[in-house]
Amino acid sequence: MDRALKNRLEARFADRFSGPIRQRHDQTEMRIGAGDVTQVLTALHDEPEFRFEFLADLAGVDTGTVMQVVYHLWSDTTPDWLRLIADGLSRDDPRAPSATFLWKGAEWMEREAYDMFGIIFEGNRDLRRIYMPPDYTSFPLRKDFYLPDDAARSPGAGVRPMERTHEPRNAPAAATVRRSAV
Amino acid sequence: MTTPTDRSDAPRHEAPHASQDDPRVMLDRDLGVFEPVPPYPPRTEREAEFYTLRDGEMFINMGPQHPSTHGVLRVVLKLDGEKVVDLDPVLGYLHRGVEKLCENADYHHVISQVDPLEYVSSLFTEWAPVMAFEQLLDVQVPRRAEYIRVLSGELNRISSHALFLGWMALDLGGLTPILWSFIERDEIVEMLASLTGQRMLFNYFRIGGVNGDLNHDFMSRLGDWMSRATEQIDSGMGLLNENEIFVRRMRGLGTIDTKAALRMCFSGPNLRATGVPFDVRRAHPYSIYPELDFDIPTRTEGDCLARYLLRMDELKQSLRIIDQCLHQMPDGPIMAKMPRLLRPRPGRAYAAVEGPRGQYATYAMSDGTHQPFRMRIHDPSFVHLQAVGLMMPGHLIADTLAVMASLDPIMGGIDK
Repeated sequence: MDRALKNRLEARFADRFSGPIRQRHDQTEMRIGAGDVTQVLTALHDEPEFRFEFLADLAGVDTGTVMQVVYHLWSDTTPDWLRLIADGLSRDDPRAPSATFLWKGAEWMEREAYDMFGIIFEGNRDLRRIYMPPDYTSFPLRKDFYLPDDAARSPGAGVRPMERTHEPRNAPAAATVRRSAV
Repeated sequence: MTTPTDRSDAPRHEAPHASQDDPRVMLDRDLGVFEPVPPYPPRTEREAEFYTLRDGEMFINMGPQHPSTHGVLRVVLKLDGEKVVDLDPVLGYLHRGVEKLCENADYHHVISQVDPLEYVSSLFTEWAPVMAFEQLLDVQVPRRAEYIRVLSGELNRISSHALFLGWMALDLGGLTPILWSFIERDEIVEMLASLTGQRMLFNYFRIGGVNGDLNHDFMSRLGDWMSRATEQIDSGMGLLNENEIFVRRMRGLGTIDTKAALRMCFSGPNLRATGVPFDVRRAHPYSIYPELDFDIPTRTEGDCLARYLLRMDELKQSLRIIDQCLHQMPDGPIMAKMPRLLRPRPGRAYAAVEGPRGQYATYAMSDGTHQPFRMRIHDPSFVHLQAVGLMMPGHLIADTLAVMASLDPIMGGIDK
């Protein structure tokens, strides 16, 4: 846990936080709204007191209520991983700005997040499916997408065809979707 | 490599009609032309740009069944004569949905699910999730277990790099080095088999420790091998390092500079070959690496030769680490006390390890149940492969294989 990093982040980005900074083990976690991603990433990357030049990971997350985009950044100014969470993307139309203007390598990671969660990254010039075939219509890592053999956790109806699960009329009742509060 | 068979000047095959009903004769069947252009309108700007041919350009499909794609990968090459103009890798042929399977598996089951991702360095694919779960659970791993992890991990790194050496030469058309490097790899793989019970998909690390203690068979094999490892590795490398054809072909090929490498999110040997001394073992220390004495080799050229030589330098550092592990190995338990059913408190964790290909990482979320709520697997090969499109334009078509081989991608990890 790097307290100094927490103080620096609070001094610089306090007006953009959508949640408190959390620190655990060797990670510092910071939450912002999706609209601020471009500016915050640019500041973290360029400003000499941060110098987060290495994008370690970019992941989509479906918490069951909202979508998130999670960036993990590394810098030589801190011993911690910085976890930046772009929070509060709507599950019906998740949109976030692309990070490809700083890291071209984020292009495929964003394609993967689009493929698995349906998150639209605005500014990514190659946002198409990467693993699933182009005519595929579901987003498999969403929480209302059940594995077909996971009948025990399917809401009463038992096994349903994979491609249908995302459709609203087949979607399970909201209460059965697994949710996370963290 | 499939070539378009639509050559109007070539004489059409004419088979006698009698053979049409003969099931043994299949020569007059139409083989069909594999059309690289997708049968749907372009979905993105980039796709539209790529699949539009200018004058004198042509498409050619490499893969999915190509002997040197290190798995099942299709690369659509856009060519101007022999020169590559652009390329579009098509993934997904090996996609198994491991992340979804992990979300529906017990924490302990995850280890066996992630094993086949990078099937030549499975210990590292186990290490990252195991470390992430240990953070979620606040478990302290016994020191002996950490030492065994590092020892077996470095052995696995050597076997992976040995295979890289052979594969790379094979992709360039040299058959001998792979026969030599397989001697090395086989010895290590057998050694690890006597430790873990498996040759490739080890399933050895556990949340809180490792599955089995060092045994006599493993130690005697290891001691035997260590006494001649340096000599053996040097003789394998001598095949290539002193080979003028190899060196002249690799030098200046597939160059990427420091800035571009960071922009492409490179890690591991491919990043260090551009001059950035980023190694997770030192940049963000984990396990017992802070206590060990080893160097981070770097090179500044950033070409295929630098990436190759850098991996060979790493072999020697791995040998140093193994030597230190053997001398400093403490006594004690190899597993922390763990309950059978793990229910970590809700939280998030990120753990990265330095694998043979780069930063191998896991981002895990727990919601308090016995299954991970979200498990993201970050694979370095995935990131490196997309840079091929950046490095290839202007090079010859045969060099695609050399550049791809020098980045050392494993399709099992890329496709998850």
